[in-house]
Parts: sequence; C-alpha cells; structure tokens
Amino acid sequence: MTNLNAIDPAAVAQDAHLESADVVIAKSTIIFRRFMRNKTAVAGLAIFLGLTLFSFVGGFFTPWDKETLDPFSIGMPPSAEHFLGTSQAGIDLYAMTVEGTRISILIGLVVGLVSVLVAAVYGCTMAYFGGKVDKVMLFVLEALIMMPALLVVAVATSGGGDGLKKNLPSWLLLIIVLLVFSWMGTARLIRSMSMSLMQRDFVKAAQYMGVPPPRIVWRHLVPNIGSLLVLDITRGVTGAILAEVAFSFIGIGIKVPDVSLGVLIGGATSQVQTFPWMFWVPLTVMFLLTGSLAMMNDGLRDAFDPSSSSVGRAKKNSAEKKSK
Amino acid sequence: MSTFLEPADPAPTAAERLHIAGLHSPSDAVLSVRDLNVSFNSENGAVHAVRGVNFDLMPGKTLGIVGESGSGKSVTSLAIMGLLPTTAQISGSVRLKGKELLGLSDKAMCAYRGNDIAMVFQDPLSSLTPVYTVGTQITEALTIHNPGMSKAAKETRAVELLAMVGIPSPRNRLRAFPHEFSGGMRQRVMIAIAIANDPRVLIADEPTTALDVTIQAQVLEVLHKAQEETGAAVVMITHDLGVVAGIADDIMVMYAGKPVETGSVDDIYYDPRMPYTMGLLGAVPRVDVAEKSSLVPIDGIPPNLLHTPTGCSFAPRCPLVTDACLDGEPSLNPVPGANYHQAACIKSGSLGADVDVHDIFSAPPVPASRFDLMPRAERATVLELKDVRKHFPLTKGALLKRRIGTVKAVDGLSFDIREGECFSIVGESGSGKTTTLLEIMEFHKDQDGEVLIGGISNKQAADARTKSAMRREMQMVFQDPTGALDPRFTVYEVLAEPLQNAGLSKPDIKKRIMELMKLVGLQPDHVNRFPNQFSGGQRQRVGIARALAVNPKLVVLDEPVSALDVSVQAGVINLLDKLRAELGLSYLMVAHDLSVVRHISNRVAVMYLGKIVEIGEVDRVFDNPRHPYTRALLSAIPVPDPQFERTRERIILQGDLPSPLDAPKGCNFATRCPVFAALPAAKQEQCLTLEPPLGPVQPSRAVQVVETGPVPVPDQQFACFFPDGELDEHMLVVHETAEPHAP
Repeated sequence: MTNLNAIDPAAVAQDAHLESADVVIAKSTIIFRRFMRNKTAVAGLAIFLGLTLFSFVGGFFTPWDKETLDPFSIGMPPSAEHFLGTSQAGIDLYAMTVEGTRISILIGLVVGLVSVLVAAVYGCTMAYFGGKVDKVMLFVLEALIMMPALLVVAVATSGGGDGLKKNLPSWLLLIIVLLVFSWMGTARLIRSMSMSLMQRDFVKAAQYMGVPPPRIVWRHLVPNIGSLLVLDITRGVTGAILAEVAFSFIGIGIKVPDVSLGVLIGGATSQVQTFPWMFWVPLTVMFLLTGSLAMMNDGLRDAFDPSSSSVGRAKKNSAEKKSK
Repeated sequence: MSTFLEPADPAPTAAERLHIAGLHSPSDAVLSVRDLNVSFNSENGAVHAVRGVNFDLMPGKTLGIVGESGSGKSVTSLAIMGLLPTTAQISGSVRLKGKELLGLSDKAMCAYRGNDIAMVFQDPLSSLTPVYTVGTQITEALTIHNPGMSKAAKETRAVELLAMVGIPSPRNRLRAFPHEFSGGMRQRVMIAIAIANDPRVLIADEPTTALDVTIQAQVLEVLHKAQEETGAAVVMITHDLGVVAGIADDIMVMYAGKPVETGSVDDIYYDPRMPYTMGLLGAVPRVDVAEKSSLVPIDGIPPNLLHTPTGCSFAPRCPLVTDACLDGEPSLNPVPGANYHQAACIKSGSLGADVDVHDIFSAPPVPASRFDLMPRAERATVLELKDVRKHFPLTKGALLKRRIGTVKAVDGLSFDIREGECFSIVGESGSGKTTTLLEIMEFHKDQDGEVLIGGISNKQAADARTKSAMRREMQMVFQDPTGALDPRFTVYEVLAEPLQNAGLSKPDIKKRIMELMKLVGLQPDHVNRFPNQFSGGQRQRVGIARALAVNPKLVVLDEPVSALDVSVQAGVINLLDKLRAELGLSYLMVAHDLSVVRHISNRVAVMYLGKIVEIGEVDRVFDNPRHPYTRALLSAIPVPDPQFERTRERIILQGDLPSPLDAPKGCNFATRCPVFAALPAAKQEQCLTLEPPLGPVQPSRAVQVVETGPVPVPDQQFACFFPDGELDEHMLVVHETAEPHAP
C-alpha cells in the first residue's frame, strides 16, 4: 500500500477540527442565524404570528359576533361596549375584523401553499420530460396566463356559478378560482430552474449510473429547488391576500354573510367621512398582514441566498454585543 | 536585483515597523506594500485572509505571486486596487510612488485605478460589457483619465493599443462587440484597456487560467510585449508554477495568507528552502520528462484562517515537522549565503539544493499493473469506436427552417482502448473532446458509426437490460467535484445510489461502501458527511469511489484534476495511477493539461476540429511529434524551469481555432499551420484541397538499415503531408533577451 491510505497527522488534526463543530455549521443553523440577524424580518414574523393568534382567539374577548345586530348602537364609534365601534347596521366591527382576518389568512395560506405545490409538480414534470410533453404543457400554461382572471372570478362568484354557490361557501369558491390562476408564473420559474439542474453534473452522473428517471426527479431535482419553494410560498401568500382584498373590494370575491378584510374595506369606502373607523381599522390590519409578510420575505431571501451580504454583519453584531 | 523584500521583524510594533520600512524602502520602488493585513467576517468568525505581506516592486520588473487557492494572493491584489468589499478590514500600508493608497475613499482611488495602476482579470468572458463596442470601452478608459483628449486622438490611441496587443485590422475591430471576439482576443482587449494610460503597475490576476495552452502562449507574449512598451512593473498572480517561470524576475510563494518564501526566480526554482515550495515544485508533472516517477503529494489541507496559527502554518502538513516548528510562527528570514532569498522556515539553512523532494515527502512507489508486461495486442478490447461522427445541423429562419450549414463537432473518430490502459484525448476547447465523451456515454441507437463497449454495440442497446449491462462496464468521473455531487446527499447516499441501482442488499451496500472509502484513501467514518464538508481533493476521491462502486472495466475521466490545486492534484493523480494498477482498470481521459496527460497515459490522441491529427504511444508522440499542431501544442506548455523557459523556442500559433462551421476544405489546420505558411505555393495547394489521411510513422532509414527483416511499425499515426517541413520563422519566438540572473 502506498502512503495514500496512511493516517497522517495532518488529516487527524483536521478531523479534530471538523469534529469540534466550529468549522462545520449545519445549513439549517446558518439559515436560522441569517434570518434572525435581519431584525425587520423577525419583526415581520412576530407581527404575522400575532395576527394569526388574534384571528383565532380574538373572538373570545367580545360577546358579539359578526352576525348579531345591536339595535342600540348603530354606527357608533369605538367604545367600551364595542371595542372598534359598530357598522351602519349595528354589527360589531371588532368581531368582523377578527373573522375577516382569519378568512384572509386562510385564503392566503391555502392559495400560497397549494399553488406552489402544484407549480412544483407541473414545472418539474415539464422540465424532466421535455420534448412534446413540455410543449403541450407549456401551451396549457400560456393559455391560462392569457385568460382574463378577473372575468372568470366575476362569473364564478356572482352570475354563472349558481350551482356552485349553493354548495360552497364563497371563500372556498374564491380559493379555488385563485388557485387556478396563481401557479403559472411559479411553474415557469421552476421549469427553468429544473432544466438548469438537469444540466448539472450530479444529475448527469445519476443518469450515467442508470438511475430511473422518476427517482432522479424526486431525489435530485425537488430537494434542490427547496429554498426557492420556501421563498415562493411567502410571496404567494402575500399575492393571494392582496388578490382577495382586491376582488372583494370591487365586489366579486367574498360575499356577505362571509366577511373578509377586502369586504370590510370595500363596504366602507363610501363612508370614510361618516364612519372613518369602519375604513381605517380593516385597512390597517391588511397593511400589517401584507407588510409583515413582505418584511419576512426580505429576511428569507437573505437567509437562503448564498451570495447575500448577511455574513458581513456577523462579526459586527457580535462585536456590538460584546461592547454592550 | 530588482525587488527587495524586507524581512518582517516581529519585535517592534506595527507602527514602528511601518516607520522603519518607510525610511528604508528604496525610493525608486513604484509599489511598496508593508505589513498588509486583510480579514473578512464569516459565519464562523473573522477569517484572516492576508497576514503581513511585504514587498517592493521596481519599475519594469515582474513579481510572481504563487500560491494555492485560499492562500490570499487574489485578496492581496484586490486590497492594493482598493476593490475589496467594505466589510473587509484592511490594515498596513500600500504606497504607489510614495503615496499612500490604503484608506483612500473609493472616489479618490479612481484617480489611480486605470491610470497609475491597472488590473487584468481572470475571466475575459465576463470582464467586458457586452452592450458596448470594444472601441467604446477602450476610449472610456482614456476619457476618464484624460478629459482634455480629442476624439480623434483617442481613436488613434485605441487603434494603436489594439495593434500593440496583436489584434488584426484594429481599425475595423474597434466597432466590434465583445461577443465577436474569442476568449483569447478578449483577454488581449483587456490588456489593451489596462495599459491604455501607461500604468506604472499592472496587476494580472491569473490572466491565462481560463484560456487554452496555445492561446495562453499568445497572451503571455502580449503581456511581455506590453510590459516592454510601457515599462510597467507587473504583479503576476498565478497558481501555475510553469507560467511564471518564464516571465517573472522574482517570486513570492504564499501560504495561509503569509509569504513563506521570496527570492529571485532561480532561487525559488533551483534552490527552494521552504518545504512547501519544494512540495509544490515536486507536485507538478513535467511535460518534458518521460521518466515515470510518482508525484509528490502534500497531505492534508491548508489551515483554517479563523485561528491565528501558534506554530508554523505549514507544520501540520510538513513531513519535516519537529516540536520546534510548533513554537511560534517563523518569520521570513534570509537564507544563509544568499542575498535576497528569504524563507519562513527554521530549517531553511539545512535544506539545500541537494535534498531530494521525493525523499522528504515520501512519494509512493510507481505502481505496476499486471497488464503492463503483456503486449498490447494480446489484451482484450474494452472500448472501440468505429468512425463515430456527430454533426449538428445549423438552421436559420423562424418558421421554415433552412439548413445553412453543418457543424462537424466529431468527424470520423476511430480508436480502441485495451485492458489496463490509459488513453487520453487532448486538444483545445472546441476540438470535440467533450462531444466524443458524450457520444460514448449516451448510447444513441441511431448514431453515425459504432461504439462497442465490452463487445456490445450501441446499436443493440435497445432494451433496458443491455443498457444497464453496458452502464456497469463504464463509469464516469466529472471535472468539477463540487458540481458532480448532490449537495444534499451524504457521502453514504452518494455511494449507495449506484449500488442500490445494481440491486444490492443493504448489508452488502454497507460493506462495499466501507471498501470503497478505504480504496480511495478516505476515512470510513466520513461517510456521514456532506460534500461541502470536504476539501476539493477529497470530493474528487468521493467521485472516483462512486465511479468504482459497480466495478467497471473502463472509467471515463473528464478533466479529473483541472479543478484541483496543484498539491491536491498530485494526490489524485497518484490515486488514479494506483487504482489502474491494482484493479486493472482502463481509463479514457480528456484533459487539456498535457503534463498530466503525459504523466498518467499510455496512449494519446491529439484532436483538432473534430478529427484526430496524431495518435500513438504517449512517449513517442510527446518526444517525437510529427504533426505541426502537436508540435505547436507541446511548445506552448510552460515548464516550471526558468532556464529552460528563457532559451526555449516557442511556436506561437496565429489566431484562434476556426469555427467548425467554416472548416477548411483540405487540411483543417492549414489556416494556422506554421509549416504551411513556409511552404511553396505548389505544395500549399495540396494542403488546401486534399484532406491528409491518418498514416503510420515510417521507421527512419537508419533503423531499416540496421534491422534485418520486417521492422515493427511504431505505435504512432499522424495526418499531415509535410511533417518534416520547415517552420515559418515569424511564428517562432525565443526570449534570448531575458534578464540574466544570478546563476
């Protein structure tokens, strides 16, 4: 045997070094650290979690609900009885905001998660098979992009979808329609990313070893676009919340008696002068919701992007801590 | 003597040292660097990338900074240029003609950058802006530093510059865009931009690493000329000891952010006094030496710069280490009996020129294969290519696609590989080496020509079973060890994949993986690590282990060591050599580094524009090249031997590889051929119209006279009508005027 196999002191020393774990840091630790280093993102996460908590337990702090009318206080400003005032019809705004936040977050999360999942499967399949399959699937995708989403939403939620409307609550219907129109951009992005991954040497190596194609996709492609998927989920959630608000605002999304932030804002636009709280409260909540997600997104990009300048702050932060 | 390197005296404080250095630094140095320190922040803490670099650069001289990746050579140059990110912490002193550069604002630095001090970067493909013409980019450099210059004057100067760097018809080429230039031409343009304002200092950071050897020779020639014309001092940063041997006056070897040995080029190459330098020199295979000896591997990896070393930074890898080495980091001290030669080693006095590096580093013995003694004709054929062609149609038009031409990437390739043999394909980029590999690996049924793997033709590879049988005969090792391993797999998973695929049971897989780890010299308990926890050399070992997992007969090596550092490369080459001998493997290797090819191969094929121009036994082809292209290729390779480099006759090929689209009708090589250029017109006609066939080398008359009976035909074939023709003297370059150095 040659000295290639001999255990040399250098390697042993290097080993001890690696073992002592100050050289190798797990990727998840690095991502977590980088995220935590971005104070804005942490604040965003806190706000988002706070709002989610509020939307679930907020209802227990008031005896009112979104349907009960209070004939004694109609269009009243905030008071001890009604924390955020009441609407023109005498419904408690606090109860409606809690309900609306929950519906908006629900729509956002479901649409954000499911559309990215659909996009990942669709995009990877397209990239993997290539050729004719790719062409047909790309055509379907382009057709969906060109479809006027606004019109379809309007028809499905108001006029044409009567049968549907009887069986489904309007928020579920909106989720389905939003889903159909929200995954295409991501799917195209994932297609191109997987196509470039297919060119990477480790995928080629697997092919030359004779690994069956579905296994290559599942074991090599999908894990490697994981960080993109995480980023896209937060982006998708923001997009879905904004879309819901916009659709409800122009009156084609969520229908009364269901309530969402968009419905509240839309309903209150004509009454900004007379009942300002009806307009500003849901708008602030919506801003907090989308704003916190945007703040988080920035931090997530910092955390996942290998070329981010986040490292530059590593030492400075710890130095500051020491000086304190 | 040109540059003067001051010893870093550890006793006085930094401020005092700078003061002393300032007083004593020779007043005529254009650039003097004192105690340069750079550190960066990382997730693990501060990394001290450069720790105390000192040098003085005299006008018109060349300083070569040599070191492996991570040794701090590029960071040094960027610190001098003021191009480091603002998060870097820099201290020390950089004086350009007596003026301090460190601490200047970015705006203030702009007055110096591109004017007094200019830089040529490594990658010419990305250092020119694609949307502006080359002329605009040259005049931009002129405009910024000479606001008063007239437009006509600027254009004249731009033409002059392009002519100086050897770009044909410079006036017309001013209006060309970067994508219309090849890589070598773009690097010439970069040099033209760098010397536009007659800089006093030119920093070249690996200027030829991304280029082919023949183009590298051209660019080095241009750099040499540019230096002569402008009288600039050059800092040449490289990892290739061959490149600097010919052009540098002084060398600084860096290791772990510190210079470990400095001196004149002859001192460093012929009388190295630091074990690291000796190891580096021993690790480089030589293209001009036929004798087979193992390369010197330097075990281990460079130290982690997170921690300040308590002893000599090279001690963990040094075979001569003693307890004294671990006691404080040695500073650069003059070598006894030499003037300017300094080494940071406490033993530098005892390490003379008579110490053999192979003894110090205990290079492994040359492994012998059981096939080596068997005549080639008696061994079984592992792979055979019969007239393989790969033509790509070139189409134009969006709706109706018209065929306007054919790119002949591979054009009629035939060769075979026998058991236990290493066959290499060499050639410039674009010669069709990689396409050949792909044609072999892909098993296209409807291929022009035939590929036989272990006796099975690719025409029969219709069903999955035949295919998997063929796959098991042949595995591949990739160029980039980082890209070839899935970053999300542990080593165990990486190695298990081919075995699972072969249908092995779990305990068998485990056993085999342990065997493989041992075979390639990795520690078995490393199986649970991820690829990013390994060094480049170790990753390549994992890649080799994966290829060997299913016991293939043939391993295809695509530039297996070109992404590795010199010292690590030696270890991997030795491993490949050992595996070939022990397991009776055959290799098909594609490489552009001819020194590596000569070291490891038995037979070699030289490719040019999709065709083999010369093929045969490696020593015959390298020692007695017949085809003019092979001769040019061999003469372009830099050799780490300054004396030899200075007196060497070099064939500088004109221009670049022609696009395969408009390949010449007769001999492909006629457009660049040094023999063709010197031929009379009648003979030139033959080269231009007829395609020379691949023919065997006839034994010389002397041999025929001496030998009675049939003379065995030597194993060497080439495709040229006039192999003995005179070379055109315009294409020959000898630097006889190079500085005479102290013997």
